[in-house]
Amino acid sequence: MTNREEAMISPKFGNVPKSSARRRLGRLALAADGWRRWWPYYVMMAPGILFFLVFHYLPIWEARIAFEQVRIVPPNIWVGIKHFQVLFSSPVFWQVLANTLIISAMKMVFFLPVPIIVALLLNEVRGGSLRKFIQSAIYLPHFLSWVVIAGIFIAALSPTDGAVNNLMGMAGMAPRSFMTDTGAIRWVLVFTEIWRSAGWDSLLYLAAIIAIDQQLYDAAEIDGANRWQKIRHVTLPGIVPTIATLFILNAGMFLNADLNQVINLSNDVVRSKIDIVDTYVYRIGLQTGEYSLATAAGLFKAVLGTMMIVIAHFVSKRLTGKGVW
Amino acid sequence: MALSRKTPLERIEYAIIVSTLLLLVVVTVQPILNLLAISLSEPGKVPGMSGLTIVPDGLSFEVWSVLLQHPNVQRGIFNSIFITAVSTVIGVVGTALMAWGLSRPGLPGRKALFILVLVTIVFEPGIIPDYFVNKRLGLLDSYWSVILFKAVNAWYLIILIRFFEEIPKELLEAAELDGANPFQVFWHLVLPLAKPALATISLFYLVFHWNEFFRAMIYLNDQEKWPLQVVLRQFVIDGDKVAIVGANNASNNTGASQINLRALKAGMILLTIVPILAIYPLILKFFTKGTMSGALKG
Repeated sequence: MTNREEAMISPKFGNVPKSSARRRLGRLALAADGWRRWWPYYVMMAPGILFFLVFHYLPIWEARIAFEQVRIVPPNIWVGIKHFQVLFSSPVFWQVLANTLIISAMKMVFFLPVPIIVALLLNEVRGGSLRKFIQSAIYLPHFLSWVVIAGIFIAALSPTDGAVNNLMGMAGMAPRSFMTDTGAIRWVLVFTEIWRSAGWDSLLYLAAIIAIDQQLYDAAEIDGANRWQKIRHVTLPGIVPTIATLFILNAGMFLNADLNQVINLSNDVVRSKIDIVDTYVYRIGLQTGEYSLATAAGLFKAVLGTMMIVIAHFVSKRLTGKGVW
Repeated sequence: MALSRKTPLERIEYAIIVSTLLLLVVVTVQPILNLLAISLSEPGKVPGMSGLTIVPDGLSFEVWSVLLQHPNVQRGIFNSIFITAVSTVIGVVGTALMAWGLSRPGLPGRKALFILVLVTIVFEPGIIPDYFVNKRLGLLDSYWSVILFKAVNAWYLIILIRFFEEIPKELLEAAELDGANPFQVFWHLVLPLAKPALATISLFYLVFHWNEFFRAMIYLNDQEKWPLQVVLRQFVIDGDKVAIVGANNASNNTGASQINLRALKAGMILLTIVPILAIYPLILKFFTKGTMSGALKG
């Protein structure tokens, strides 16, 4: 018996019609019956479904201009992969791709451990109100826009009256203009990312820590474990799945070096160091008007990004049981 | 814990842990307090102020009053509130309605709809196709181009579906047996039960739309329609002081031009954060709970 036949014998479907014609009729009747019962849900879902079709699926259709020559007088001409060839032979594109990967890698190495450490420290804080106070403060930047954060850091990193250079001045160091320093700007991206999200991300790990069985700590205590031994042998192993999940998911987002962050912290002096695929698409597309080339670059990133995140999802699901969705 | 004796070493450890975290608090909050101090100082005293101070030098509300009376800023405030309010209402209603259908296990086509939504999470063709869709629909330069950007957010939809799925089946079946149709069940049963979840995603939408600037920047040519984030960007990031100070004032060094630019920028940045600070207690309550339970459930 095939699966489908088995499914049709289930009590819900009643008797299995013998002939294929009757079977088809039966299915139609079922569908009609289903529709009578379910149409109100579809009425309620209609605005949402329409939204997804228009604002998420129509763009996929519009992306065909990556394969077309845009003409002022329509229709556009189909040119196949010409724009992709132009793209792949452009040194700027490879530079931009390299920047994206470098920035993502730097964030992965230097950002990811910070929220874990913050969560471990927070978990050691005993006073409930002290802990709440710290949490309330360090979660805040997560809810600020990158325009605001860039404004805050342009001020804080100012070579004349910014807090950082004031501190360096006290230590007898020469002032440095971080925002226009090609050697520093990528670190500015890493640091502002830490400033914005390390606090908030620690919440994910803290949730995992709180879920650890208290008996494990009690047992460790009876065995005479000190604070660090408990962290090493109980807490850390307990949050390894969370760490692994977030690490893999981050790997899946490797091509998203955060447009909003870069576009606000960038300027003409340092652009070559932090120009990423997204800012490149924006610049050549909407500022220079090379729509097809820009769309080709965007599609390249989208397809690669989709592959990476789907792989990340299944790797994560297999290793830790948790996926992207 | 309280009863266990603490060795001096443990006390020192604890002191190090707490001071590390307090240092983190200072690093997080000080830059914001510094801008607040600068914006509240007497504008004449701002030029010499250190980036480290958090105490205003003198006390003056001149910067804030100049900003709040400025037509560009006023329009920005209005636009931001309008766009955020409308898109949040649309978002919450659309998301709740769609989540209700998708949370019913027997819904025909449920799996296909899930795939329809999931695809949009993993595949984004980029800003240029988005731009052309808006152009084709005639939305460019209209508030709607910004309002409808991520109007129904796939992630928030999934959160709400998960929440609706937790509603006990017996309750829904009892209501259906009483002859309630799906609209009635949704309105009288599901929505009241889902209040905390709805509050959470309302805040998600609110914060998301208030902070959105990129789409507004590329879709809205007309400066009259710019939300506060774009006005802020033009002034502070692009350094276009004429926008705030005014061309006449800038060339004649009159009016707002006499006020220290650093103080004006500081005030403008803070002005943009005010609504976030105002709802921050709610954010802490609902976001934290939502994230914690989501992580626990996995």
